[in-house]
Parts: sequence; C-alpha cells; structure tokens
Amino acid sequence: MSGTTACFVIVSRNDIPIYEAELGSSAVRKEEAAHQHQFILHAALDIVQDVAWTTSAMFLKSVDRFNDLVVSVYVTAVIIHTRLMLLHDSRNEDGIKSFFQEVHELYIKILLNPLYLPGSRVTSSHFDTKVRALARKFL
Amino acid sequence: MEPDVSMETGSMIRVAVLPVGGPVPPDQLRDYVSMLVRHQQVALSSISSFYMEHQKSPFTNQPWETGSLRFKFMVGGSPPSPWEDFQSNRKILAVVGICHCPSSPDLGLVSEQFTAACKGYASALVERCFAFCPSDSQLEDKFNKDRRIILFPPSDRKTQEFHMLTMVQDLAASLLMEFEKWVLSAESAGTILKTPLDSQASLSSEEFIKAKKKRLGRAQKTIGDYCLLAGSPLDANAHYTTAIELARLTGDVFWHAGALEGSVFALLVDRIDVRDPALEEEVKYRYFTVIQLYRRSFLPDNSRRISTVSFELEATLRLARFLCRHELAKEVVDLLMGAADGGKSLIDASDRLILYVEVARLFGTLGYHRKAAFFSRQVAQLYLQQDSAYAAISAMKVLSLTSKAYHIQSKRGDSNSGASPNEAKSTHAEGGKVHLQSIVSLFESQWSTLQMVVLREILMSSVRAGDPLAAWSAAARLLRFYYPLITPPGQSGLASSLANSAERLPQGTRCADPALPFVRLHSFPSHHPSQTDIVKRTPGKEDWWLGSAPSGPFIYTPFSKSPSTGGAAKHHNHHPPELTWVVGEPVHVLVELANPCGFDLTVDSIYLSAHSGNFDAFPVSLRLPPTSAKVVPLSGIPTGVGPVSIPGCVVHCFGVVTEHLFKDVDNLLQGAAQGLVISDPFRCCGLGKVKLAAPPAITAAPPLPLLVAHVVGGDGAAILYEGEVRDISLRLTNAGTVPVEQAHLSFSGKNQDAVVNAPYEALRSALPLLPGAEVSLQVTVKAWQLSPADRRSKQGASPLLVIYYAGPVAAAPGRRLAVPLQVSVSRGLRFVKARLLSMEIPARVSETLPAAAPPAGEEDGRRGGRLVKINPYRGSWGLRLLELELSNPTDEGFEVNVVVLPEGGAAAATDCSTTRIDRDYSARVLIPLEHFKLPVIDGSFLGKTERSAKAEVDACIDSLISKIKVRWRSGRSSRGELSIKEAAQAALQSSVMDVLLPDPLTFGFRLRRTGGAAIAASEMVPLEILVRNNTKELIKMDLTISCRDVAGNNCVDGDNATVLWAGVLSAIGLEVPPLEETAHGFSLYFMVPGEYTLLGAAVIEEATDMLRTRARTESPEEPIFCRGSPFHLHVTAAV
Repeated sequence: MSGTTACFVIVSRNDIPIYEAELGSSAVRKEEAAHQHQFILHAALDIVQDVAWTTSAMFLKSVDRFNDLVVSVYVTAVIIHTRLMLLHDSRNEDGIKSFFQEVHELYIKILLNPLYLPGSRVTSSHFDTKVRALARKFL
Repeated sequence: MEPDVSMETGSMIRVAVLPVGGPVPPDQLRDYVSMLVRHQQVALSSISSFYMEHQKSPFTNQPWETGSLRFKFMVGGSPPSPWEDFQSNRKILAVVGICHCPSSPDLGLVSEQFTAACKGYASALVERCFAFCPSDSQLEDKFNKDRRIILFPPSDRKTQEFHMLTMVQDLAASLLMEFEKWVLSAESAGTILKTPLDSQASLSSEEFIKAKKKRLGRAQKTIGDYCLLAGSPLDANAHYTTAIELARLTGDVFWHAGALEGSVFALLVDRIDVRDPALEEEVKYRYFTVIQLYRRSFLPDNSRRISTVSFELEATLRLARFLCRHELAKEVVDLLMGAADGGKSLIDASDRLILYVEVARLFGTLGYHRKAAFFSRQVAQLYLQQDSAYAAISAMKVLSLTSKAYHIQSKRGDSNSGASPNEAKSTHAEGGKVHLQSIVSLFESQWSTLQMVVLREILMSSVRAGDPLAAWSAAARLLRFYYPLITPPGQSGLASSLANSAERLPQGTRCADPALPFVRLHSFPSHHPSQTDIVKRTPGKEDWWLGSAPSGPFIYTPFSKSPSTGGAAKHHNHHPPELTWVVGEPVHVLVELANPCGFDLTVDSIYLSAHSGNFDAFPVSLRLPPTSAKVVPLSGIPTGVGPVSIPGCVVHCFGVVTEHLFKDVDNLLQGAAQGLVISDPFRCCGLGKVKLAAPPAITAAPPLPLLVAHVVGGDGAAILYEGEVRDISLRLTNAGTVPVEQAHLSFSGKNQDAVVNAPYEALRSALPLLPGAEVSLQVTVKAWQLSPADRRSKQGASPLLVIYYAGPVAAAPGRRLAVPLQVSVSRGLRFVKARLLSMEIPARVSETLPAAAPPAGEEDGRRGGRLVKINPYRGSWGLRLLELELSNPTDEGFEVNVVVLPEGGAAAATDCSTTRIDRDYSARVLIPLEHFKLPVIDGSFLGKTERSAKAEVDACIDSLISKIKVRWRSGRSSRGELSIKEAAQAALQSSVMDVLLPDPLTFGFRLRRTGGAAIAASEMVPLEILVRNNTKELIKMDLTISCRDVAGNNCVDGDNATVLWAGVLSAIGLEVPPLEETAHGFSLYFMVPGEYTLLGAAVIEEATDMLRTRARTESPEEPIFCRGSPFHLHVTAAV
C-alpha cells in the first residue's frame, strides 16, 4: 500500500468543507500537492451535484478524475446532503466503500451531538483519529 | 492545437488582417477592423455580381440561393501551420492590409510594404489593401493606377460600411474564383499532399499503386475541403466520400479520419443549431470513429515523434462543443475528461494551455463553474510557468475569472454577488436574530485552503504583471479573510506587499476590498447623555415633553414598550432604535478596531463614511500594535437635516483608501459564532463579545438650543449633614445656536422633596435665553434623613433638576437637561429621646403673683447668658420642660439652638441659649414649655370620644412640635434643623394633657402688705392665698394650707412647730365661681429664720365629670385632690 494518495473531505450541504484530511500513506508530501487534491475535489462537486440526482445509490464510485487521481463520493441522506469525498489513486473499490460506510457512521454520531450545529466544522479530534484509523484499515 | 475549434471551423476561410504603412493609431485600427470583421458570413447570392465564370465551375452543386462563404479574420496574421495540406482551412487564403493614410503619405511605399508582407503568406490566393482616410492628393495619386490599394474616401460611417461590404463581397467573389481554379488544377494535375507524419522515405518505399491511390484519396479530401470553403457542402460530401473509400483501401488512417471529419462538417453546414436527434446520433457515431482513427494513426515508432494527439483532442473538443448542452452533460463531461486526460501526452505546453482553455470554456458553458475554475487555474499555472509579463497578465486575468467560483471575488463591480449578503444583512438588521441557515448560507462554498491558494496566485501574477491595484486587492483579501491560517512572518510579508503595491499606486487610490483593521460598530454615545437628551415635542400642548421618552432616569420603563407583547419581537424588528442628531453639533460614534495580525498596523486615517451626504466626518489616525484591539471614538458633524446613514468607515491604510462596512464584519462575527469562519478577530484580540445591536436609524434634526449646566463650586457632591440646608448655585449657558424660548423646571428622582426652594421665577424671567447667554439659578436643598438603606449606598439618592426646553421652531424637538443636585448626606446630630420633665422650682412669695409670661426686659436679660435662668419669684410657675437628648456621632462639634416659635408667627421667636455638643458626646437640651397651656379647662376638650380625642391630641402635639425648631450649626457654613417630630411625639404622647391643659385650680400666695418682699423672723407676716378656678363651672372645695421647713417637716402642726399662725389654715370651705379668683387671708409668724415652703391644696367637692376626667379618677367616689405649686418664703433673722 505504499505510495498511495488519498485525500478525504466532508462537504456540507452548503458546499463548505467541514472536515479535511490527507490520508495518503506517503507521509511527507508537498503542500502544493495537498492543495491540488482539494482543487480536484472542489471541482468534482459540479459533477457530483448532477450525478447524485440520477441514481439512488449513495456510493458514487469514480465520478470524476484528473490525471491519475480518481474521485469517489458517498452522498448521505438528502436533508443533510453531506458528501464524503475521497480522492484516491488506488482501485480498491470495496475498501473505499467500506471506508465510506464506516465514516458515515462516525459522522452520524457527530451529528447526534446536540452541541454540534449541522453544517459547521467537525473539530473533534476523536473523529479525526478514527477516520485515520479507518483509512489505514480500508485504503 | 488550435484554439476555438468547432464543427464550423472546417468551412471557414482564413483571412489575415495586417496593418501596413505607417503606424495606425489603436483606436483607428480597432475601428477599421471592426468594420471588416462584422462580415464573417457573405451570402453567395450577394456576390454573384462580382463573380465571373471563366470556365465551368467544379462546384456543380453550389447553392447560389442559400449558401454562403464564411470568413475567419486573423488580425495580425498567423504563422503557417505544418498541417496546412491536411486541413485546407488552416491555410491563410487571403490577406487584407489595413492602412491609415494620414500616417502613411506615400501610397507607393505602402504598396511595396504590403507586397512584402504578403510574401509571408504563400498560400494566400487573394490580396487586398484597404486604405482609410486618404487625402485629396492621395486620391489623385497616379501611382495607384493598378488599384492594388483600395481607398476608402472619407465619408460618413454608413457609406464607409457599405463600401466595406462591397469590398468584402468582391474579395469573396475573387476567392471563389480562385478556389475553382485551384480545384480544376488539382483534379487535372494532381498534387503532392503531405503532412509531417509522412516521411520522405515511407512515401517512396511504398508500392506505386498504393501510393497513387493514397495520393488520389488525399487529393479528393483536399478538394472536398475547398468545396466546403466555397460553400458547397454537397460537392464536398461527394469528394469526402470518395476520399474515405480510397483512404480506407490504402490504410491511410490519418487522412481517413480527416475525410470523415470533413464529411461531418459538410453534413452540418448551416445545420449547427438544428437539434435533430437523428443528426446528433449520426454526428456522434461518425465522430467516435474519427477519434478512434486519429488514435490509431498515432505511430509509436514514429521516428520524428510527431503526435496526432492534438487532432484527436481537437476532434473530441469539437464533438463536446457540438453536444454541449445540459441534457447531455454526462457525455460532454466524459469527452472533456478524456480530453483533459489526453493533455498529459501533449508535449507542447502551449498546446496544453489551449486544451485547458477549451475544456474550461466548455465546462463553463455547461454550467459547471467549479470545473471551469479548476481548469482555468491550470491554465493560469501554465501561464505562470512562462516567464513574461504578458503571460502573467493573462494568468491574472484568468485567475480573476475563477475568483467567483471560489467565492473570493473582489467587491469591485460584482453587484450581483454583493446583493445576496446585503439582503441577508438587511433582514439581519431588522431581525436581530437570523435564522441559522441563512448565516450558514453567507459562508457557502468557503474552501479556505483553495481560496488562499488562488488569492496567493492572483497576488503573485499581478505582481509579475505589474498591476499594483490588483496585487493590493488580492493581498488585502488574503490578509483580511485568512489571517488565522497565515503565520506571522507570512502576515508581515503580505503587509509589505501591500505597502509595495501602494508605492506604485497614485496617492489616494481607492480599492473596493478592505484590508485591515477590522472595524465594527461599538455604540453611539453622547457626551453627557443627560445634558443633550432630545425630547419629541407634542405639538400644541403646554406640557410638550409629557409622554415622550425618556421620562425619567430609568432606561427601562414598562410603559414605553410596544403594547403588542405577543408579537413583541417581531414588532420590534421593524423599528430599529431611533437616534436624533442635531445639525451643527458634533457627535461621536464608538467603533472597535482590531488588528489580529502579528505586525504593527498604522492606520493613516479613519473616519465615518456617510452615504447620505449630510455628514462631515473627522479623520483620526492611530497605531494598532500586534494582536490588539481598540475602541476609538470617531466624530463628525451633521450638516444637513434628514436621515443620516453611517454604513461603515473609510480607512486609509497601507497607502490605499478603502471602505469598511460594518455589516461585513457583523456577518463575519455571526459566522465565527457559528463555527463557520476560522476566527473572530475581535475576540482573539481580547475584546469581548458585543451584542449585535441593530444599527439605529439616525436622523439629523435642525439646530436646537443646548443648555449646559455648571454647578458653581464644582461638580463634586456637597457633603451635608442630615437636615442641613444649603443653597446650590447653577449656571445655565445656552451653548447652542438657537435661543431657548421655552423652559420648564422640575425635580425628579429620589428625595426630590429635599428641594426646599426652586428658582422657577428666575428661569422664567431669563427667557428667551439667547445663544451664549447665561442664567444663574439657586436651589435650596435640605438634606434628607438617611434611611438604613441609604447608609449602605449613597448612589442615586440625589434629586435631579430637570429642565425641558425648546427653541423657537415648533416642529423641532425639544431637549431635556437633567442635572443631578449632587448631595451626599452624612449622618449628623442624632436625636436620642425626648422626655417631659415636671420639675418643680418653687416661686418666691412676693407682693404679687408670678406673671404667666415674663416681662420683656427679663427676657432680654436672659438671652445674653449661657444658661436658662429661673426667676426666683416665679419658679416653675406654669412651666414644663421638654428634655431632648441629642448625640453627636460626627467628627465635628455642633452648636444647637432650640427656638420656640410663639403662636402667630416667627417674629418673636423665643430663643434659648446655644448648646455646644462636641464630637462623640451627647447633650440634653431643655425646652421650657410654658406658653402652651390653655387658659381655660374646658369640657369641650375632654368630653369627646376616645378616638377624636386622640386625633385632637395628635393635632395638638403636632402644632406644639412644629413650634419647636432645633437648629444647629457646625463648622463655618453648615447649618440646619434637626427633625424631632417623631421622637418628640412619642415622648409627649402620654403627658400631653399635662402639658396642654391647666389644672382646674391654681393656687398662688402673696404678701398682703407693701414695702418690700423681705420677711424677717419674729414678725407677723400677712399672707393671702389666691385660688383661681380655671373651669367654667363653680367649684366648691375644702382648702388646706400647709407650711414646711427646709427639711420638709410640717412646721405648723405638730410638736416642733416653729411657725405660729393667725386665721384658718385647714378645712377652709371655699366656693370659687367660674374663671374667678377667691382670696383667703391669713398670717404667719416665723420664729426661726430660714427657708419655708407654702403649699396650697384642696379637695374638690361635688366634682363634675369633666374634673374627674381631668384628674383621671377611676371611681366617682374618689376624692379629687388638687395641689398647687409650692411657694418659697425666705425668712431672714430678725433685725
């Protein structure tokens, strides 16, 4: 699994990134590259926006790509309409799907916190740790 | 790769447009070019008059009625492409020179230059040179005989345009004829058509037949291209079909693709906009083949490494552009993503640039703005890799196009995007509380990381491009919105790039994007709120100030609240608090400034920005240290009547003038409160949260008078002892520009009845008070008693002097001046208790009875002394003493003076002597109560019911006490009066009858002889007892006279009698008529000199009820005993 790239972002219904994480196993990477990853994910929102309405599936695999990087998205229920977006170069589809499902569960736990305003940033370090652990497990 | 490829490019004739001759002014050039460029399509029908058929046209199916020729004008020309043979539309087929005659007088020279310029375009079939604005001499120039230079004589625009149209039609006709010639020659002779793909070697090494067929196929394809350019799609299609067949046979994949592409062009001529699904399917089918063929034509072993990828990509882009509609978004996205992927294999950076530009454009057309922005940024990065100012300008422009998608656009000119926050804000201003979602929506699509990167790139590119304003704006946005994500050195770097940009800008440049500091509204204070209060006038009312807030010292009054409490919040929303400013009077607005960054911020000037135009603001300059915040008062003067709007501040900082709107910061803070924005700049600078108050609606009122109060002797509180009376002098000055016409003075607040004397008249007589005039008022205040609560807190206990005043204009509001009469009351002399003493000092027996009131002379004598002197001949006759115990807990000595006012006025007050009470000491003051006895004991007084008697008694006590004034003085100026009312009342309650009512009988003794009052022993002393009946009824009594010596022994009776007597001394039956006196004479003979006391006593017989009541007897059988005051007798030794 060495050298994989993965950038994970949770986007709220207002298109604000509420959680960002570089999950690639190549630990030290240039800041520039990280920016590029976010740029790709941001651009993919346009396509996700259209594709999400054409399918009932929550997991949209490889909706967008740029160069070798592929964007997969997990769209949550419509009211919250949060999108879990992963930029990756691995083709481990099942792993990505499981990763999304697990993170979605974690995110629901965050949502259930009465002090959390839906749509604001997720700042829980516990969440972060868990997400990174899931990334190691599945990606 | 070529930019702007579409299905139509195949049928466009390229015309190079070149300026020739002398320099053409840019405006003129633009004008001439625009005249030319509008003729992009020339109908075949319109050129028939210029067309001459020299031989039979090869374009057999030319649609003369419907067809047209299309031009693509390449201003400035373009270098020849190596792929010209493959796609004839890449050739420059005509050259048009543009000449501005005034700058190039020699037309011959122009002609030579033009010919030289045309040499560069070998493929050009037609050349024309248009010369504008020729002079008369040039029009007659004989060198221009060959008409190579077409002169456009100066005339009006319309004529020139018509002239131009004619010339373009002529050009089109010439081109058409040239195409015919070319096709005829190509058909007959055959031409060698090559592309960079074909190496010399490969062509010759192939079989002859195949090579010939290949050549034939390529020729057919090229003829098809020309047919297409000549506007004959049917002919083109026929040739393309042949070409496709031949290419397929010969395996000439590349040309096969080209021919197939051409057939699609031919199919789509004039039908681009037709939305025919069948046609679309056909185009898609053919194009996918085209793309496949182009891909196959790429030879990996190609020795020259010439790639056909660009053709594949162009074909992809063509198809994408053709399909580019939202319904087909998915297909277009797939095509574009494929094209973008293909970008990797492009070797030339400028090809990739074109590819990304086209991809971005197509995504933009599709409505995918984020995608478009993404590819635009890729374009910008490619530009930035080039090291030239022009590339940097391009990068900057492209990046600024992306700024909208990344929500970082400059405020300049984006009224649309500015509108939505404005609306949200306005609801906020009214609402006070915004729905959470709408706050969230303000921060939609805030990808701060991306925004920062893009802004940095804009900054970098504008610095490179030499656009200081754009650089300033980008740096300002970066610093303002992302300072928490930037390290302090980074912040300083941005600050210096702001300063550097500003150096290259002219002084006073304005920028729409504010930088630092953050400015927010703090409050609207007034200097002395109580002195400048503005009160609405109720027109036509004497008390115009009534019913208008503020009515008292309280901020909150339950009555001023809107009546509909149910919808209070909503109701309140539509009425932001109102604020009235007065024209010509300076006002202050407090704003908070925050510098959350790690460098020193110097604000060159900051002032309130007023959009209403009736406000002069005063600039202030200041310095904000790193991560600090300040509350700064900004001031200004309203200059005109009407509403004043203060939406923000104008700040001159980092060399550029910007406007900072309060609502922007409010939105930011809202976002910060919701965790949507990274940081609250004020909180991180240590300033607390300010409740977001709705900004008030400010109106400027016409000039009003302004009274300023000045308390003589300073504003400090006067320290008064309880009960102290003091005059407080006030000076009122009219500091306004309008006279005070009406003024009304009143007092309010706690202890307002402490004001003893108010200067109503003085104020009224001073009206009208002209501007600058002054009036002095004197208010007399008597310090109030401290209650236990007062002792704890002395705040707010002072009474308020309130003056409502107004100017001459009836419509203008009035004003309210509230001056607290600063009085601090401290504990003074305390009244401990009062007691009624019945002290008996016997009077001396003399020739007369003691007088009820002492003679005047006697009083005068008493006044000088320090002590109350008792007239020995009077004793305590008719006298009662009220003892007041006073204590002095203060630090100063008090002098107490008890004054008893006689009935009927203060003129002849009985003044007791002064008693001094030192600090921490108590003293008793005796008040003789001698004048209070009623002369007659009357049944009417006593024969009343318990209750009314009590009321009467109370009234009596009140009147009694009100006559007693305990006045004191202390120190040099403090003087006052002690309130003894309650205490004295308690003391007197039980014994009031004794104080007030006379006894029924009064006994008096007097000498019955004349010639001195001296009495010697051993001599017969004739005496007389006088019994006075104080009632209105006859009293019968049994009178007894007793005489006692110093020891109190009866010296008349008994064994040791030392006094002999003559006459009756006991059991004397007397009847005294009402209000009359009866005398009874007797004589005493004193054997021993010394002091003796005579005492009269009587037992009243047949007493009436009234007497019984007075005597307080319990049973009717009880005898009523009446006893008089004792009298002294001083018996001297016998001479």
